[in-house]
Amino acid sequence: MAKDVKPTRKNLMEIEDRIELSERGHGTLEKKRDGLIMEFMDILDKAQDVRGDLAQDYQNAQKKINMARAMEGDVAVRGAAAALQEHPEITTESKNIMGVVVPQIESSRVSKSLDQRGYGIMGTSARIDEAAEAYEDLLESIILAAEVETAMKKMLREIETTKRRVNALEFKLLPDLYEGQEYIEQKLEEQEREETFRLKKIKEKKEQAEKEEREAEEAEAEDEDEVAPDDESGDTAEPDMEQSTAGGVPGGD
Amino acid sequence: MSAGASNPEYVNARVRSRRASLFADEDYRKLVRMGPSEIARFMEETEYEREINALGARFSGVDLIEYALNRNLAKHFQDLLDWSEGRLYDHIARYLRKFDVWNLKTIFRGIYTDTDPEEIRTDLIRAGELEDATIERLLETDSIEDAIEFLRATSYYEPLTVAYEEFEDHGALVPLENALDREFYENLLADVSRGPSAEPQEGPEAKYVEFLQAEIDFRNVRNALRLARSGADLDPAAYYIDGGVLFDRADLGRLVGDYDALVDHIAENKRYGDRLSGALERLRDADSLIQFEHALDAALLEYADTLSSIYPTSVSAVLSYILAKEREVENIRAIARGREVGLDETEIEEELVIL
Repeated sequence: MAKDVKPTRKNLMEIEDRIELSERGHGTLEKKRDGLIMEFMDILDKAQDVRGDLAQDYQNAQKKINMARAMEGDVAVRGAAAALQEHPEITTESKNIMGVVVPQIESSRVSKSLDQRGYGIMGTSARIDEAAEAYEDLLESIILAAEVETAMKKMLREIETTKRRVNALEFKLLPDLYEGQEYIEQKLEEQEREETFRLKKIKEKKEQAEKEEREAEEAEAEDEDEVAPDDESGDTAEPDMEQSTAGGVPGGD
Repeated sequence: MSAGASNPEYVNARVRSRRASLFADEDYRKLVRMGPSEIARFMEETEYEREINALGARFSGVDLIEYALNRNLAKHFQDLLDWSEGRLYDHIARYLRKFDVWNLKTIFRGIYTDTDPEEIRTDLIRAGELEDATIERLLETDSIEDAIEFLRATSYYEPLTVAYEEFEDHGALVPLENALDREFYENLLADVSRGPSAEPQEGPEAKYVEFLQAEIDFRNVRNALRLARSGADLDPAAYYIDGGVLFDRADLGRLVGDYDALVDHIAENKRYGDRLSGALERLRDADSLIQFEHALDAALLEYADTLSSIYPTSVSAVLSYILAKEREVENIRAIARGREVGLDETEIEEELVIL
């Protein structure tokens, strides 16, 4: 990732902003994850209780209906069940637990009194009442279990998502950003060093050129001085030698 | 209503032979060790053979047993009506009208839930007085109102018409079913007893009245205890059946609110207190009414047996046979269903079977 980023100061600033945001987000998400886990543990305890009750209610209801079918006959039990057309009503609302929207199921007309079950009271027995009551209890338990278990599943999914986000920030995004930041910083420093060195070199070259120019001017001035007093050949050899020495210094560098 | 003289001697002679073919204790002991298919096989070798064979192609397992039992019960009770004449016919028919009530309730429930007539037909027990043609016409009706209209010529028409208004208001079958049951119970004693002063004091008819009063009292007891246990805000008087000796309407209204007083009231009654003392003790502590209902059923059966042995050629003996036959059907069904759902032998013997 780091190599894809252009090592510019602007990018460095952007990355620094992103690091700050990500660190803040990481902290918040960690807190959210821990909070969700605590809420989840509460719901888990409740769900375990509800599950236990549900299994017990189911067994009880099965036993009651089996006894009713045995004593009253299947036909009588089916007949009593057919005497009611009205179904229980279920309404769902939602509540928010740390940002997770979980359902809240409200049921009505599940538990009925003796005269609301549809079958006549005078011609039936307590066995049918008990079977009906056991199934009403079972239905209540199922509705409660549906609410708690859906909340549990949603919480679990949210915990997973939050955990993935925290891990992604902690082990992927933030390390990448730190790497990018370091890369840009190093590159920028390197560029700075190169620039300094380059400037230094230019300065040196410039100073050298100035020096040579100055020397050349001085040599020229000396030549002119020598030609003017006498025209001896030995006099002409000295500037030549100086010239070659002057020329030899840059070459020897 | 049948014309002509009563013929209890003839009917009792036939009934005695039928009674002899009822399953003995030994048979039940064998049955509780069998699975549903073995029970069906066992029944095929008894007097249920014809019904098992006739229904074997349509049903299987415990359903086959239950439908065969119902059909056999209907056949036997129809025979009783065919044999009997005069006042005896009236007495028997009045008691067997509970199957008419059963059939009407089944038909109403079928219409109410828009069930296929063929499915309703299989659940009927044609042991009552209503003719097959009437039942068939009722099965073809699409609305409860039309069905009630078809019953115009019967005694059920008037109470059903009144209850229908309530049904229209609330949309539940409860008033119609209660009206049918009330009509049955309150007519049990019609023509036999018109209040305590007009009751026969001795002889077979007095015993017959005593038995019917016990049936009504036990029904009132069941309903009172169910109302008391349910805690629902229901008017007990609406569920009171006239004709018993245990409660009057005011007693029931007062006692339903106080469960212990209700149990005490039953225990203090001379006629039933001793007979039900064991069951009442259990009822005080138990959460369930089922064991008490079990005890009531057993007490009623014992009552009928006593009556039949005092006057062996009276209608009481016939009623005793009707109850014994019903008990046989219930026992076999209970054993088969109990075995089907995996109850062990002890549970079946203790909780289901009344010998």
